[in-house]
Order: sequence, then C-alpha cells, then structure tokens
Amino acid sequence: MTTDVGRSEAPGGAVGWVETRLHLGPFLNALLHVPIPRNAKTFYLGGITLFLFGIQVVTGTLLALYYSPTPDAAYESVLSITSDVSFGWLIRSVHHWAANLMILFLALHVLRIFVQAAYKYPRELTWLVGGGLLLITIGFGFTGYLLPWDQRAYWATVVGTEIAGGVPVIGPALLLLLRGGAEVSEATLGRFFGIHVLVLPLLLAGLLGLHLLFVHQQGLANPKYPEPRPGRPAPARPPERLKPFFPDYILDEVIAWYAVLAALVILASLFPAGLEPKADPLVTPEHIKPEWYFLAVYQLLKVVPETVGVVAPVALVLVIVVLPLFDRGEEVLPRRRPIAIACAVLLLVALAVLTFYGAQV
Amino acid sequence: MSEGLPPVLEEGGDRTVAGVRDGLGAASGAGGTGGLDRRRFIRWLLGFSIVSSLAMIVTPIIGFLIPSRTATAGVGGRVLAGTLESLPVGSGAVVAVGAKPAVVVNTSGGVKAYSAICTHLGCIVAWDAALTMIVCPCHDGRFSPATGAVVSGPPPAPLPPLTAVVEGSDIYIVTG
Ligand code: HEM
Ligand code: FES
Repeated sequence: MTTDVGRSEAPGGAVGWVETRLHLGPFLNALLHVPIPRNAKTFYLGGITLFLFGIQVVTGTLLALYYSPTPDAAYESVLSITSDVSFGWLIRSVHHWAANLMILFLALHVLRIFVQAAYKYPRELTWLVGGGLLLITIGFGFTGYLLPWDQRAYWATVVGTEIAGGVPVIGPALLLLLRGGAEVSEATLGRFFGIHVLVLPLLLAGLLGLHLLFVHQQGLANPKYPEPRPGRPAPARPPERLKPFFPDYILDEVIAWYAVLAALVILASLFPAGLEPKADPLVTPEHIKPEWYFLAVYQLLKVVPETVGVVAPVALVLVIVVLPLFDRGEEVLPRRRPIAIACAVLLLVALAVLTFYGAQV
Repeated sequence: MSEGLPPVLEEGGDRTVAGVRDGLGAASGAGGTGGLDRRRFIRWLLGFSIVSSLAMIVTPIIGFLIPSRTATAGVGGRVLAGTLESLPVGSGAVVAVGAKPAVVVNTSGGVKAYSAICTHLGCIVAWDAALTMIVCPCHDGRFSPATGAVVSGPPPAPLPPLTAVVEGSDIYIVTG
C-alpha cells in the first residue's frame, strides 16, 4: 500500500526516475518515519489549524483575482464575486468561515499545549514561535475585516485603529502608521490589503516552517511524564511506548481534515458571508461590533479607562509568550500544577464573561 | 528516554493502517473466490474516494476561474454621448459605453451609433472627417457612416449598430 513512499531501493516508473536523480528517499524517510509517544494526545488541533491556513491560501488567492483594493471599487468587486462569479459566494464564504475556525482551533491548540505542559523544557522555543503565529493570525483577522469596505468593515477599523492609538507613548505614531494618514481612507485600504495578502502570509509561512521543524526535531511531548533533563536524575518511569507517525498519526489527521472541510462547506452554505451597505465615512451605523474574538477587548474598553483597556491585553499576551521562562517546574500533570491551572481557568472565565457582555447589544 | 530502558515501537494495535493491512491480508486469503477480492475492492474504493474528493474541490475552483459572461457587459441604460453642439452634422466621435467603445456620427441622415470595435482584428475605429468615413487605423478598413457597412479593406462584416437617441440637444446611446 502507501507505506512504500520514500523507500530508497530503486522503485520503478516516475518515482524511480526522480529518485535516481534527487535521492529524496532518505530525506522523506527522516521526515515521515518518526516514532511518537503512544499516549500523546494532540487532538489534531495544530494540524487542523495548519489545514485551515492552507484553505486560506487557496481561497484567498482566488479572491484576490477578482478583488480591487480601492474605496471606489472594493465594495462592488466583493459584490460581484458574491453574485456574478461562479462559486464566488462559496469561495468567499469558505474564506470567511475558515478564518473564524482558524482562530478557534488555534485557541484550542494553545489550550492543549498549556494543559499538557508541552511548553516546558525542551519546547520553550516552539511555544515562543507559536506566540508569533498567534499574533500574525490575529493580524489576518484585523486586516481582512476592512477589505469588503462595507459599513461594518469601515467603522470596525476606525474603532480598532483608534484603540491602537491609545497605546501609551507610541500610540499616535502607531495610529498614523496603521491608517497611512489621519483617517481610514484609500491609503488604509491599500496598506491593509498589502499586509493581508503579502506580508502576513510570508511571515506566517516562514514561522510555521520553524514551528514544525522544532516539533519534528523534538518529537511530541508525552503528557504523562516530564521530559528527562540533562544533569538531573531521570525519574523512574516505564519504557516509552511509541507508535509510527506515518501512516498511523497522519491517517487520523487527514480524517480530521476531511471532517473540517465538510464542516466548512456546510457552514458556508447555511451561513454565507454577508455584506452591509457600502462604507460611508459620514454616517456611523448603530451597534458596530468587532469579530467575536475581539469582543473581550471591546467590552473591557467599555468598563475601564482607555489606557488600561489597551495595555492589559498587550501585557497579557506578553506574559503568555514568555510563560516558559518563568514556569520552569518539571511537573506536567494538571493536578500537580494547581497554580498554573487556576490562573488559566481564571483567565478563561474572565474572557468568557467579557465576551458574553461584549456580545450584548 | 535516557533511563536505559529501550523505547518500544508498536505497530498496529488500535485503529491503524497497519491494523487494516493485517486484517485485509487474512481476509483475502480466505475469501478470494470471485475476481474481486476484498483487498482489491478496498483499494478501488480508496482510489475512487480520493478522485471524487479531488474533483469536488477542483470543480468550484475551475468554475471560479472562468470569467462570467455577464460581468463585463455592464448595466443596461443610457449613456450621454455628446450634444448636437459638440457633434455638428458631418462630425463623429468615439465614446465609452460602459467598458466598451462606440462611435457616434452625426450624418445628414440623422445621428448614428455603432460599436467602435473593428470586425477585422479588434482595433478601435475612428471618425475620419476628411474622408467622411469611419476608418480603422490598423489595416485601413473603412465603414459607411450611414449603415456601418464595409466600404473597403479587410473587415469581414459591418460594424454592429447601436441605438442613438436625440433628446433636446443631448445625444444618448441606449444599451441593455
Ligand atoms: C498558525 C498557527 C499554528 C499552527 C498552524 C501550529 C501547528 C502545530 C502543529 C501541526 C503541531 C504538531 C502537534 C499538533 O498538531 O498539536 C504543533 C505543536 C506545537 N505548537 Fe503549534 N501551531 C500554531 C500556533 C501555536 C501557538 C500560538 C503556540 C503557543 C503559543 C503553539 C505551540 C506549540 C507547541 C509548544 C507545540 C509542541 C507540542 C508537543 O510537542 O506536544 N503553536 N503546532
Ligand atoms: S483591425 Fe481594423 S482593419 Fe484590421
């Protein structure tokens, strides 16, 4: 069956033709045939996030073929993608839903890593690079939201960039840099488009390569036993039980992807991406809301002074990114890490409450 | 893994490809009576699933890439092409109607309008006041201002007529 991939003894046909020239066999073997702990449980969350990024690259490239990034044409081009271009509504709605699911599965991925303490030695750098991936993914959401140039897009960006302007000291400069001028205008749309389709994809692809390289080098964490550390006596434990990454793990992963693809098409069909009236810089609509994943910050800004509301989320993200630097205990089981787990639960409850109230009209 | 006990690599076990493979091996030995044993059947099913999944993904992508015919036609309606003052009898002009050019000529027989896309190889024709004819600059195709018919040159067909309407002194081209 398919287990022959990468075997180096001269295979025939096209595979053999390439193999005699490039000798990729050993490389693919090293890539695919890694043993992973039998009790590793990733719930395929990182892989699903990866799959969703792939979907975004494909659907985003397609959308870019018809989209025009100017205030005069953006709205009409989105309208025509939705109504004129065959399957345009599907491609656009899948892009919309995959963006939301990517944030969701990314959050679950981080939560899994946290609960299993997979950020501890030796995986601190994987977590750190992950922090970069998280920021970039949020950046995708923020810049992509403006592109349809409808009322919601426009005013959410006015408010969003205004919030960035509230950062102490660098706020005003940041505001100007984001908007490309004093107001949200043609310059802003051009910038957001460039960042959304060029800068962020390249950054994400690069960091993702590092992230996966690190995971490959270190293997998956075992959620039951701490990693043995150099210079310390290894704790007593049964022999490591392993299973092959290929094909066992990959097969399950692909099944998960298939289910996610089905979910995407169903969501896109039942709840297609909508479009509000065209952006009007002179009329602010009532009840402008950001995407659901910004609602907590949005609500926080309603109840605390602006500086606090801006600084608190930034500080929180920084603390999360450097978490492995100060949480250096060896324990990995949640019940042996009561403080870490309590902090996480507290944070989740706070986010849930803020999001809930933020969603109220 | 440094504690000395060797790691154990377990193939098979719960739901794995290895498990499926073993099961198939056992089954195909016993039940290979017809031409199609279970292993070949499953392999065929797998191939079919992969091909149909790919088709399902590629179809909307290809459909999306094919430009829609209606998208460029523009909306129907009226386009102001000029006035009787700007376009006196004996003169003509090329104007944009949506995304497409039209040539408008004020002839002694009334205001006429045609598509300005030459029927030969697609250059844009112009009004030649000296020749009093619609002339294509590319290969000197010439068209009659009164009917759009080919007078001379390589164009194989007359220019398609458009509807020109005069209201007061305004000249409109009506499409759609
Ligand atoms: C675009 C975003 C991301 C993608 C596509 C991604 C993808 C992956 C994949 C495929 C794995 C292999 C294991 C699994 O599937 O769970 C993994 C592992 C890991 N990720 Fe991510 N990741 C992303 C963001 C993050 C973030 C934001 C963090 C943390 C701040 C993070 C931290 C880690 C760590 C520490 C591991 C190693 C886990 C282990 O060894 O068990 N990742 N990632
Ligand atoms: S294209 Fe007009 S004459 Fe050849």
